[in-house]
Amino acid sequence: MASTSNDNVPQHMNAPENASDELEPGACHDSILNPTDSFEEFASEMSSSLRETCLTTKSSTISEIQSEILETAEDPKLKAAKSSDDLQTKDGSMSASASNSNLIEENGDDTDDDKDYLQSPELVNKEKHVFILSTAGKPIYSRYGNEDKLAGLCGVIQALVSVIEEQNQDILRFINTKDCKAVFLVKGPLILVAVSKSNESETQLVLQLTYAFNQIVSLLTLTQLNRIFEQRRNYDLRRLLAGAERLIDHLLVFMEKDPAFLLGAVRCLPLPEKARENITNAITTTCHKIRDLVFAIMIAGNQLITLVRMKKYTLHPSDIHLLFNLIRSSESFKTAESWTPICLPKFDATGFLHGHVSYISEDCQACLLLLTVQRDAFTTLSQAKHTIAEKMRRANCLVAINNALNRNEELSTTKPLKHIGIPEIRHFMYKCKSTAQLFSSDPISLDRLQDYRLRHKEGGDIVDKKITKLSDIDYVRNYRKFCNQIHCVATPAKLIFRSSSQDTILSWVTNGFELYVTFDPLMEKDHAIKAVDRLLRWIKKEEERIFIMNAPTF
Amino acid sequence: MSRCDFKIVLLGSEHVGKTSLVLRFVNCRFNAEIPYQNTVGAAFCAKAMRSKEKDYSIGIWDTAGSERYEAMTRIYYRGAHAAIICYEPSSHESWTRLRHWLHELRTVEDSCKVYLCGTKKDLLDGGFVKREVAEEIVNTYSQDLNGHFLTSSKTGENVDELFQKIVDDLAADVEVMKTVTESRLLLTELDKRKSKKDVCAC
Repeated sequence: MASTSNDNVPQHMNAPENASDELEPGACHDSILNPTDSFEEFASEMSSSLRETCLTTKSSTISEIQSEILETAEDPKLKAAKSSDDLQTKDGSMSASASNSNLIEENGDDTDDDKDYLQSPELVNKEKHVFILSTAGKPIYSRYGNEDKLAGLCGVIQALVSVIEEQNQDILRFINTKDCKAVFLVKGPLILVAVSKSNESETQLVLQLTYAFNQIVSLLTLTQLNRIFEQRRNYDLRRLLAGAERLIDHLLVFMEKDPAFLLGAVRCLPLPEKARENITNAITTTCHKIRDLVFAIMIAGNQLITLVRMKKYTLHPSDIHLLFNLIRSSESFKTAESWTPICLPKFDATGFLHGHVSYISEDCQACLLLLTVQRDAFTTLSQAKHTIAEKMRRANCLVAINNALNRNEELSTTKPLKHIGIPEIRHFMYKCKSTAQLFSSDPISLDRLQDYRLRHKEGGDIVDKKITKLSDIDYVRNYRKFCNQIHCVATPAKLIFRSSSQDTILSWVTNGFELYVTFDPLMEKDHAIKAVDRLLRWIKKEEERIFIMNAPTF
Repeated sequence: MSRCDFKIVLLGSEHVGKTSLVLRFVNCRFNAEIPYQNTVGAAFCAKAMRSKEKDYSIGIWDTAGSERYEAMTRIYYRGAHAAIICYEPSSHESWTRLRHWLHELRTVEDSCKVYLCGTKKDLLDGGFVKREVAEEIVNTYSQDLNGHFLTSSKTGENVDELFQKIVDDLAADVEVMKTVTESRLLLTELDKRKSKKDVCAC
């Protein structure tokens, strides 16, 4: 019962768009985020040839910023000191890890136990496995079970990849069986594999593997990662990733649940326009004189509150997702101010930014990240943070943030479906393409993710249970297929309308937005179109609250 | 420029309990419910302390034990007045790493006072773990250093004593106090200039 139209979008569907030269809801001329398509990633991945899998990196944005700042610095002494400082530590870091690598004992003996282990309850019947290994076949990460015992399996994966590479001069991308997809991604010195029984497409799985790779880069930088394996092909990367499995674990759960990944967009915390403006002002007035500051980002509950940036530089949504993941998975930020190296792979995979990370106050769970290219800036940024927090408190911003986070019933954005007043709509998600921001009718609450994670820890198993009431997570799961069809490279669909006995789903993509709506079953087409029209008008009306409509700089 | 009089840095391999030690000292609490999580980068805490009727503010850098951050850790101990190197008496590996830090500090920050701290004393006392690092070895090592404490962040035993000793030692050190007085003066000077400027700007 699916009807797909590629070209002829019905005339009246365009109605909300062509009202004079009005922009689609959420669009503005300047964006803090790079407008992207999560599927672009996949396209570029697929077009890579064999030779290119060895990652080379282009010029470094971080050194560009550093040299720019230095050019204007009055003190020539400072100049010399800074640049030599960088070299020293870069070399230092390498010699440290290189010397350590010599200490590692080899433990690659596969025994018959391996085979039995593959049948153990820790590993069978999982919906999705993710394995990461080095191109030498050394296990680095397994989503379930103990990767130490998976040396045999990793050997097989490595053999599969290298046989196809060497004998056929080709790249192994997928293996499909009746109920299972295995997706392979070779990136630099690493091999990443997803084995999935979920309804995610190969494209979506590759995207998730790319994210997992970027998570590792974010901890080490691409330069360091490449250099480690150049120096020692057999290196056990787990030494350097100790404690970071948690980040990959969380990221995988996060990607399965949050539409932000499906859409390649960032969700903003809905706030009154004035409150957001005050927060942004608190940051800009405090930080405009701190010359090395590249980004100031405030987030709460996986949602963006504001982002202030250095002129000329914007952030890629995927970098922000990694920051969300870092903040959400780390308890240590809650107890003290932190100062940590962070690499943002899309921004500059070759180097670290230094981040001052702290929560605004005990009574407000908004987290402020100040990212700089200057490694000695902690004290300056720490003072800036206290000033910002003070200004925000005086302007009543903390109350506004808490209201939004606690989903105060008085806010129209808390239960949008009630406010829109179209009872047939059960769920929707909307992405404004030009600003890479999204809004959905029921933001996935953190508690629920937490719940899910607890259950997941025990299981992650495939269960056949009757779903009586769909959760927001289930709706997003249902949209995957549609999202895939819309982004299909060969024959992209613009509008899909599908009714089934359970529900009616409409997905629609234009130049400006992507929209996915779930209606009651038996919804007729023209009725649905009218409803969508009203929905878009509501989003337009609320756009100042639910989206960040400007792109402030320091 | 730091607003703290004394900079103290915590070093040691992962999972020895550096963060628990700081949280016990600064917040006077220990939460056994929270599962272990590694520190990301380094965390900073400040606390006011008294020594011989005088007030001092101390800044404590709790560094990540993970090898990943090893090269970065130098940023944190640069200019530190004192370092606490932690080890777990029941883990020989943590003791081996301690020697690495000791060497590092001696070459990079030779004026820094060094204290050894054995952690998780409660586990040792309760017989839950076995001592792997012989006391004689620890004693030999700590002879040349500024002190050795065996602490328990769970019960709080010896935690305040450790930090009090550090502050007492630093306050008694003429060289250190000279720089502290200088930087205090400089800061008040800067503040004055700043507030004047603010007035002019309005």
